[in-house]
Amino acid sequence: MAILIGQDSRIVIQGITGREASMVTQHTLQYGTKVLAGVTPGKKGQDVHGVPVYNTVREAVEAHQVNTSLIVVPPAFALDAVREAIDNGIKVIVVTTENIPQLDTVKMLHLAKLHDVRIIGPNTVGLINPNDRVKLGSIGGDNPERCFVPGHVGVISRSGGMTAETSWMVKRAGFGVSTSVGIGGDALIGTTIRDLLELFELDPDTHAVVTFSEPGTMFEEQAADFVKNGGFTKPLISYIAGRFTEQMPEGTIFGHAGALISGSVGRPSGKAARLREAGAHVVDRYDELIEVLQHVLAAKEAK
Amino acid sequence: MGKILEHHSKQLIGQAGVPVPKNGVAGTSEQAAKLCEQLGKPVVLKALVPVGKRGKAGAVKFADTAEEAREQAQILLNMTVSHFPVEQILVEEKLEIAKELYISITIDKNRQMPVIIASTEGGVEIETLAAEHPDKVVIEHVDPLYGLAGYKTKEIWSRLGLDDRLLLRAGEVTGKLYEAFLRYDCYLLEVNPLVITKAGELMAAATVMAVDDSAMFRQKELEGKVEVGSERAWRPLTELERQIIAVNDADYRGTARYTEMDGGEIGFMCGGGGGSLLSFDALVDLGGRPANYTETGGNPSEEKVYGLTRGILSKPGVKGLFVAHNITNNTQIDVMAKGIVRALAEMGVDPKTFPVVVREAGVNDTLGKQIFTEAGVEYYGEDVTICEAAATMLQRMRSAYPDLY
Repeated sequence: MAILIGQDSRIVIQGITGREASMVTQHTLQYGTKVLAGVTPGKKGQDVHGVPVYNTVREAVEAHQVNTSLIVVPPAFALDAVREAIDNGIKVIVVTTENIPQLDTVKMLHLAKLHDVRIIGPNTVGLINPNDRVKLGSIGGDNPERCFVPGHVGVISRSGGMTAETSWMVKRAGFGVSTSVGIGGDALIGTTIRDLLELFELDPDTHAVVTFSEPGTMFEEQAADFVKNGGFTKPLISYIAGRFTEQMPEGTIFGHAGALISGSVGRPSGKAARLREAGAHVVDRYDELIEVLQHVLAAKEAK
Repeated sequence: MGKILEHHSKQLIGQAGVPVPKNGVAGTSEQAAKLCEQLGKPVVLKALVPVGKRGKAGAVKFADTAEEAREQAQILLNMTVSHFPVEQILVEEKLEIAKELYISITIDKNRQMPVIIASTEGGVEIETLAAEHPDKVVIEHVDPLYGLAGYKTKEIWSRLGLDDRLLLRAGEVTGKLYEAFLRYDCYLLEVNPLVITKAGELMAAATVMAVDDSAMFRQKELEGKVEVGSERAWRPLTELERQIIAVNDADYRGTARYTEMDGGEIGFMCGGGGGSLLSFDALVDLGGRPANYTETGGNPSEEKVYGLTRGILSKPGVKGLFVAHNITNNTQIDVMAKGIVRALAEMGVDPKTFPVVVREAGVNDTLGKQIFTEAGVEYYGEDVTICEAAATMLQRMRSAYPDLY
């Protein structure tokens, strides 16, 4: 098992004929993930690396009963693509698009909540389940095995690139991942760290979770509260990058758009303190992840 | 986020139907005096700089006569507010104030919806007011799909004790501000104070507007009105930062972002949003002093990598180069290598004497390694962590510059 995606995922890629989407499709198929359909209005009948293209999501649902969508469209079309997916009963949507106007993002996230739809992103590298060899998004590129090997550690990262690097640290420690999720670099996202901890708690194949965080947002604070209140009981190992930004003038963005420090909200030191207080293993040096992971999982094994 | 200077925000808010004081922009004290004369009444002079709390910084002045306006304008034009030299002044009619209200609209990132904050105690900092007198502040979230109902605009102010004609006017202004917030894809729209004049009219006396730069493709009207790069700097952009924005804009592939630090010796050429934060922390933890912050990634072209590296190396005082990246999903390491090696060669940098440490792994890294190694650059791949590479960088700096490190 894993979370969110697996062998039952029936995948459609919206915007499949684009340059980026076509490359992602190729890598995804090479990895062994089944992609049943693609959608680009006006391109019905074409195929992308053998995946049939339809004009609308409705047609893709009728022909293939798709239930999971990867959206790879330009910012101006992202809201409409999400609407189309939701209106056609898709339940898991991964929005890779970066730089979507925030008023559009607010609408799509609101719609998803109303219809009980799970959105990962926007501005996400995607997610991967190495055990079932299912991936959604550019995650892993042309060589997912390099960083993502099957195992029992869940990975949650606010940075796309660091999703791979952190999963590789897990591999270096001698373990593998159940599911690795890049949640997206923006402050407005559909699925937060807390939401994923809730899912990982229910997944028997996940024995511990590693998170990679950045300054800004309240995601870590919310996760800490969730752990503290007993919502997540497995070992949680966290690293928060960007401590240097606390020495910089307020209001400067370093890293992703979400990484904006305003007042005392969003500071790495505050996040670390809250997570520690809740019982998480917060490492100050990224490399310590390896040792702590080995220690924590060995202790769990011994029980 | 892009900031909009007050003369532009007042114009936009005025177009949306919210009354604003009569005003003009002066670039010299002479023009300020003339504007005061034309307005024919006492004026307020405000420095047009993209920073908040100008009143506290002494960047807001008053004048009763044209002569006073000239003097006060000269004082302002000689000022630098939070590193921004004052080049223009907003000159506007001074209002006869009966009462000051407060209103702002922004997106509540936690609730993921627009929020209106209103108060009948304008003219003060809302954070202080909300902490000290929560009863005098109304916070109203707006369903982004349902929109702001007309009755809500009146409910907000009725809860704060407004009544009669003022309640209707405040409600109307609130509706129009919300429309402007949506129409211009704002991050923040704040009117503080929203003045009730002695004549009983409402006027947006001071406005703050910041817009979503992701929405600029549908905001032709805002072209030329947004302060470029204002979200990434706490001071005006430096010459080097401007150069690298040009490098970034020259090609749509990938990103190249650059922020200059005060001082520092280590040129910082790192990538991935999170990878760069981690790399910077790693250097600083070990006592390193990066000369800049950088973020590249998203599969940049060789030209972009080259331009960025050249920019990093050209800052005076840079004595080494640290190149690191998270294991890449799509950024091609061979392309990175070509751009970096070319910049080193053209800048006459010899890796034998000038420390360069590279940790790049991911797409096409076999070829990338070859290019770096052939150029004499110390290269590490995925077998070394970013922290380990940072430690090596510091070692190289220490042995090359024993006096410095």
